[in-house]
Amino acid sequence: MRIPRALMDVILAHARSGYPYEVCGVLLGRNGAGDRRVDRVVPVVNREQDSPQVRYEIAPEDLVRVQRDGRDEGREILGYYHSHPDHPARPSETDRRIAAEGLSDGVVHVVVGVEGGKRAAPSAWVFRDRAAAFEPEPLDIE
Amino acid sequence: MAVKVQIPAPLRSLTGGQSEVEVDASDVSGLIDRLDSRHRGLKERLCDADGNLRSYVRIFVNDEDVRFLKEKATPLKTGDTVAIVPAIAGGRG
Repeated sequence: MRIPRALMDVILAHARSGYPYEVCGVLLGRNGAGDRRVDRVVPVVNREQDSPQVRYEIAPEDLVRVQRDGRDEGREILGYYHSHPDHPARPSETDRRIAAEGLSDGVVHVVVGVEGGKRAAPSAWVFRDRAAAFEPEPLDIE
Repeated sequence: MAVKVQIPAPLRSLTGGQSEVEVDASDVSGLIDRLDSRHRGLKERLCDADGNLRSYVRIFVNDEDVRFLKEKATPLKTGDTVAIVPAIAGGRG
């Protein structure tokens, strides 16, 4: 997945500012010939009510709005991002289990580990139904 | 009742890559059946064995969640836009 540095900075700043809570957002772009390039990042509110320090939820109402606006601009949803405060930048078992239950095949997830609200490190993954698991996705920050 | 249906990327392997399809249906239940007749396997991804919408699937008609309308009995009319939206959640714990 390719993403401009300025947009990755938006994601990392969101993850740091939201600490110690998880933050989340949507990655939009044009998915041409398997070449995923993010050209818009939309932070959304973490709707998880009970445990926002360790869980996130993107409200379907928010998602349908982002999807509609994206389509109006010729973009589509390529994936999502969320943060892991004081936790590694890789999908958790919770991430894997929920993705396996849902409609996630081929969808990119950027996971940002945030240490102490300061150091933020991203990684990218693609969920594959056939393996019921996330596979590492090369992350090209341009 | 021709309505446009927006297909999320994970289901496009069932629609031949189409991100939007047009279907004739008078309600959401009929729409799902028509979709499945043209794109076999879609209904199983959207509904459980009892025919209820799966918990991770949301269907919106003109930006209204059918859970707050009449669920699968929500009526459709020509020109409506239907969006199939996945529930997205997770986290470290």
